[in-house]
Amino acid sequence: MCSACGYPSRPGHWTEAGLDTAHDRLRARFMRAEVLARVLRHYGLTAHDDGVGEGFTLSTLTGASVIVTDPAQLWPTVERLAGRPYDPLL
Amino acid sequence: MTDDRLPLTVLGGWLGAGKTTWLRHQLRTGPKAHVLVNEAAGVAVDDALLQAAAGVAVLAGGCVCCEGQGGLVAALRHIVDRRSAGEPIPPLILETSGLADPAAILLLLDGDPILSRHIRLTEVVVLVDALNGAADLTTDALAVRQIRAASRLILTKTDAAPPLATARLVATLLALNPAAQVEAAVAGLAVPLPDLKADPLPLGTGLRPVTAVTLPLPPGVDWAVLSLWLSALIHVHGDRLIRIKGVIRTPAGRLLLQTVRQQVQPPEILPEGLGRDDHLAVIGEAPDVAALTASLARFLG
Repeated sequence: MCSACGYPSRPGHWTEAGLDTAHDRLRARFMRAEVLARVLRHYGLTAHDDGVGEGFTLSTLTGASVIVTDPAQLWPTVERLAGRPYDPLL
Repeated sequence: MTDDRLPLTVLGGWLGAGKTTWLRHQLRTGPKAHVLVNEAAGVAVDDALLQAAAGVAVLAGGCVCCEGQGGLVAALRHIVDRRSAGEPIPPLILETSGLADPAAILLLLDGDPILSRHIRLTEVVVLVDALNGAADLTTDALAVRQIRAASRLILTKTDAAPPLATARLVATLLALNPAAQVEAAVAGLAVPLPDLKADPLPLGTGLRPVTAVTLPLPPGVDWAVLSLWLSALIHVHGDRLIRIKGVIRTPAGRLLLQTVRQQVQPPEILPEGLGRDDHLAVIGEAPDVAALTASLARFLG
């Protein structure tokens, strides 16, 4: 519930479950940015999370960048920046 | 934090499967419910049969999974507004039209910024006519989509169908949706399924059978990375990998994770000792364990 407007909060994204402490959340952020940077290299993308503020940065090699704050938008954003579909099985 | 969102059951099934009959019985014998009835035709008749409900709203003139979506969203928002204003509202049951794809309704609810905060989907119940269901299943892709979206399948009219035919239908349903719970009911009353072994019916062209595989997880797999991989997997292959289920160890405890296509149910923390936490069950059109294992290994590095 938002204390200012009384509007109930949207249930968190499922990937945020299981990370209750600030330490666990921060560790997961760094870990995910590291993995993304590795698996997206072949797509000409890089990922960086400075651990401050909301979300992390996805950038192309030519300098275009997007701050991803909603985990549900991560893969659609990857595909948009890469200009082609992403497939984890390939 | 407790989930105090309003529970919603989606009731689906092919035209004439017996949805209203079944619901009518549940309303007379079960807990109170507020019912929304959707009719694909412009004229509603079912609401007259559902007098035992705590409240009935009719959404006529279009199926709520496609052209009638606006009507469903408006009706549900009206209900949650009344609840927010303090009016007690019993759990909701949405009786879909026979032509609705329940999965489209789940996507609609999840995508609506207001409804996703106020309504929690508890169950997708799909009724299957034991007399005609087999014919619909082997010929109609929509009938198959309804079966695949269900968490509980209830065969109706089993008293009038030969037991062997019912057993074959059960085998077919389990081939299409191995994760569903299959039951039978006659005029709304639960009855036992025939205790017979039978082979599934041959499926229509273009329909691929669904198989269940076990994907072993490496010991101590990191939840931060595993969840990232799963989010990529269901984003791209959720239409094919219909269901992924498993218990996963996280810093906060053991999480029960369940996906239905691109949807992920809010993970629950399980007590220690309940369920194994070293594998995922993947149910879909021919999941390839080797490809999945290699893909996960690339993420884990």
